[in-house]
Amino acid sequence: MTPLVRGAVSPPVNVAIVGCAHQPHAWSYARALASTPSARLVAVFDDDPALARSVADDFGAPVADDLDALLAPGELDAVVVCSPTAQHRRHAEAAASAGCHVFSEKPIATTTDDARAMITACRDAGVQLHVAFVIRFLPHVRTIKEAIDSESLGEVIGIRAGNRGRPPLPPRYPAWITQARESGGGALIDHSVHLTDAIRHLTGREVVSVAAETGELLWGAGVEDCALLSLVLDNGAVAGLDQSWSVPANNPWDYDFFLRLVGTQGSVDLDDLAESVQVVSGRMADGLRLAGFADDPDAEMIETFCASVRQGRLLEPSASGEDGLRALEVALAGYASAASGAQFVAPASGTA
Amino acid sequence: MADLTQDEAIDRARAVKPLRVGVVGAGLIAGRHVRAYAKAGGVDVVAVADAHPAKAERLAATVGGKAFSGLDEMLALETDAISICTPPSSHAELTVRALQAGKHVLCEKPVALSLRDAEHIEEAAAASDRVVMIGHVLRYEPDHRAAKDLVEAGQIGDVAMLVHAATGSLPGWSEGGWLTRPEESGGPLLDLAVHGFDYLAWVIGSPAVRVHAVAADSPAGPATYGLATVRYASGAMGQVEASWAHPAGRGFTTMVEIAGSDGRISWDSGSVSGGAIHLADGGVTWLDPVGERGYADEIAAFAEAVRAGGPSPVPVSDGVAATRTALAALHSARTGQPVDLTTWEGP
Repeated sequence: MTPLVRGAVSPPVNVAIVGCAHQPHAWSYARALASTPSARLVAVFDDDPALARSVADDFGAPVADDLDALLAPGELDAVVVCSPTAQHRRHAEAAASAGCHVFSEKPIATTTDDARAMITACRDAGVQLHVAFVIRFLPHVRTIKEAIDSESLGEVIGIRAGNRGRPPLPPRYPAWITQARESGGGALIDHSVHLTDAIRHLTGREVVSVAAETGELLWGAGVEDCALLSLVLDNGAVAGLDQSWSVPANNPWDYDFFLRLVGTQGSVDLDDLAESVQVVSGRMADGLRLAGFADDPDAEMIETFCASVRQGRLLEPSASGEDGLRALEVALAGYASAASGAQFVAPASGTA
Repeated sequence: MADLTQDEAIDRARAVKPLRVGVVGAGLIAGRHVRAYAKAGGVDVVAVADAHPAKAERLAATVGGKAFSGLDEMLALETDAISICTPPSSHAELTVRALQAGKHVLCEKPVALSLRDAEHIEEAAAASDRVVMIGHVLRYEPDHRAAKDLVEAGQIGDVAMLVHAATGSLPGWSEGGWLTRPEESGGPLLDLAVHGFDYLAWVIGSPAVRVHAVAADSPAGPATYGLATVRYASGAMGQVEASWAHPAGRGFTTMVEIAGSDGRISWDSGSVSGGAIHLADGGVTWLDPVGERGYADEIAAFAEAVRAGGPSPVPVSDGVAATRTALAALHSARTGQPVDLTTWEGP
């Protein structure tokens, strides 16, 4: 999809992973970086060396034990930040001041102050800030965006989208994701930012009002695991988001993404579970499982990040720091709404 | 009953004394009622009334009944029960009159377009010893019923969240297009979503305590796409999507998900296909896995309740609660405020 960079004569972009707290994502980005000629995975850093090794070792990448040394002037071009969400700002600011472009895991931060500080630090340093909104890179989402941009669906007026899973609990995930101080909250912030961004990306509209119902009803993880958000967009379109951790332990699939939208001239029904085969195996798990056959969108996202760094501008469909901030503002408005009995709340509208 | 074949059961019911039923309204849903009564056994549809005499005659002729121009004319005929299948603006008046005439009543959903009308029905039903059932047919649709039975059996633990999405195009079947006029139908957030509101409260087994909603206009009309989010006294939460804004070619689909503390139930009518018969000349017969079984079972339950003298399988209070939630959702979408259903007294 980006033939400009494949096999290009220019040298690969030198990238380090800073923070591995979002371990499965850090591992996936490491795989993407290690398997593309566009990039070189220079090193993997985490405050916890064992966690860094769990990401680096599979790809023969060195583990950096000192962040300052890693960021010291030299060959490093960019960093992928996968630390706990509340640490993104610290790592992004350090990278920006070292002149490194930043690719941040989502959500961009736990507070709008932190998100704005990241945007400012990167702008002042003249480096790019990307946010890992991977839904933009799904082939079907690109097709839907083309249909919307060509106005063949008319004006989008209604959307229902979902991104459900389970709480990211140990041992597969480090414990911080269900600790609100480090992650900003539970299911609401974890996945609503993906859905909000997908809607903003597809419609080009901003969210002007948010109402939410949340509850800790399923897992006893100490944060909300059920969250339903209602959005009003600036053209009067409305959306319902389900980002609940409502997938049972023995479900045939672990995560889903669906998008159903209706415009004045047509509608869309997208369900990523369709890209899978059904399997029953005595070796995998009890009962039916869905085995997906979709391309890895992380690879495309990382490829586009590297191409953006090379070309000196954010390439479509990359998400910027501002995109990360907007999605965070909607999530925080959702928390404010849920705390006030589902009042409609305007997302903070300050400009970055 | 379990030892009888269906034919024997029907014969026995007939031998007792066939129920005599009149149907008010002769539109699409009235046709479903009439067909279901005909299947129920032990029931004779003796009359159909409609302000359009030709429609009443056409539907009455399918079962050998008499045609009338309205309920009052029909009440001159001996009947046990009346199905009210008119637009909802007339439900209260017709139901109250039928009850005053001593008839059992099956009233289509929504019970009314206003809380006041809904209360009139509730008062009349309370003052009567007749069976009054509200036509929340989803409770009898085989897929919805199966899910309810699983929840009731405890198979998914406590219900935490329930999403009911019903999306399609603007219905084209209403007489003179009454469904397309919000003041006569309430639009999809009432006419369509009231099914979901009833189903959610029924499955969750707990009353709705708060609702907020958002709605958008489409070429199909104002607020023809809506999303309502409901909180229940148990703490469970739910969302109802209702659309008349979709392209006709996509068809009508229902998607339901129920998440519980120990499991999850979901289905999507778009992917529940019974298969099809394809002919070389292009002819297709779709094998509908659900069909009209919902109406058949609903009508059979009504007839059984009438014979037994109650209780109502879907009491008026449930229909009023679902309509109240829908009216509050419409109010929320208009005002941009959530509605506290524990204290709300109407818009």
